[in-house]
Amino acid sequence: MKVLLALALLGLGGLLGLGIAGLWPRPEPQDPEPVARAWGVANAVAAVVLGVRLWDTLFEVLVYVVAMVGVRFFLGGLRWRGELPPVAETPLLRRAADLLLGPILVFALYLAASGHLGPGGGFPAGALLGSALLLLALAKGVERLSQELYEPRLESLEYLAVALLLFLGAVVLIFLVRAPAAFIAANLLIALEVAIGAWAVLHRFASARGEV
Amino acid sequence: MVAVLLSALAFALALFALTRKRLLWGVIGVGAHSLVLAGLYLVLAAPDVALTEAAVGFGLVTFVYLLALRRTGKLVVAASPLYPLLYPEGERIAGLEWEILARFARWCHRDLEVIWVPRAEIPRLVRSGEAHLGAGGFLPNAEPDLRYTRTLVPTRLVRVRGGEGPLGAVAGEPSPPQLDGEKKLFEDAAELAKALARGEVGSALTDLLHLREWVMRDLFPEAEVQVFPEELGFAFALNPEDEELWAGLEEFLAELERRGELAELVRRYLE
Repeated sequence: MKVLLALALLGLGGLLGLGIAGLWPRPEPQDPEPVARAWGVANAVAAVVLGVRLWDTLFEVLVYVVAMVGVRFFLGGLRWRGELPPVAETPLLRRAADLLLGPILVFALYLAASGHLGPGGGFPAGALLGSALLLLALAKGVERLSQELYEPRLESLEYLAVALLLFLGAVVLIFLVRAPAAFIAANLLIALEVAIGAWAVLHRFASARGEV
Repeated sequence: MVAVLLSALAFALALFALTRKRLLWGVIGVGAHSLVLAGLYLVLAAPDVALTEAAVGFGLVTFVYLLALRRTGKLVVAASPLYPLLYPEGERIAGLEWEILARFARWCHRDLEVIWVPRAEIPRLVRSGEAHLGAGGFLPNAEPDLRYTRTLVPTRLVRVRGGEGPLGAVAGEPSPPQLDGEKKLFEDAAELAKALARGEVGSALTDLLHLREWVMRDLFPEAEVQVFPEELGFAFALNPEDEELWAGLEEFLAELERRGELAELVRRYLE
């Protein structure tokens, strides 16, 4: 075991050294500015993710949704039998959740809405929203938050977001729409979908106590 | 240059997280590692990736781990100290049972926490779920609603007679049938030993391991010792509703016994 660990560490260190030494050939960087300009946005990454490579992103979202559905399907029937160990209420967490929840939500919305202008976009915004829900779950307890969020309605909201996203993608791909409005809408939908998906997975894992 | 420094820092934090014994420190290490990675991406002119890394690696993943730790991350042991089974040694805890419990906790990925309580408190704490296990100087006393593991260290009850006076015992400990009568009860063995030394009680009911400790400290050189024939043994006590912990611990102890490590531990600590 120790030998294996040492070998793994050595390998990792070697990879790191190779990367730093620049021994691997790097692809010739293309100038991203013309791409961004062609799609009418300021952030070249957004132009690539939601423009040039929209197909990739749509399939990525689909993979994510399939994973969520799989988690719901397979962990849904796995309810923890008996009483869950009580989660202690700590005033520190309650207070931290009170203070941080608002700023996190606003920042997540900002990230999603400004993804076409600067760093950001739907995926980090969704992860941030998911973190906000997790913070609430830590402070309140998972089951209570799940009841307050109306879980089934949340689930249909997620599927609705995915359907809208696919529709939007189809419109962009078929009619070659190149407008910032499409980027904003796509980022917001992705954020919604990622946040709800993260919450669903977490809730399932937590209520099955992570045991499969 | 900054990129190299950040890479080295990320590597060091990953090592830190891997080598921590306490899971919480591991989680904190992984979170800091993610944050440093985000900084590295930022330096390498990839702010989008940096943001995603910070949101997912530092935010979401850390929170998921924290939630998991809050749910199942602890293994609380209620114990009364007994040398050499489970006893505080300065800031640390040591002993035969400590070694077993520490390995078991690592085996089932839980953080071990020991709360020191008097012997008589252990059953209540285990029953109410405030503690998962009872250990230390814990001799099974046929308590209702408790389940015991296999015997770790066999022992017998002894009566140490120092002079005339009532019989003293530790509250909650078993007693041999011939001594069922009135006893003066004490919180723990240390109190009992003090009372015996002061002459408050004439004799004390205890077990071979406590007697061993007293003999090693040369407490009662003139006392007369009577050993009772009933076979008893130190074991862990569990809540019978905690099937999962019971099965896990039994499996772990059986494995220890099969590999002869239990006997080896007993030999090392008791001989």
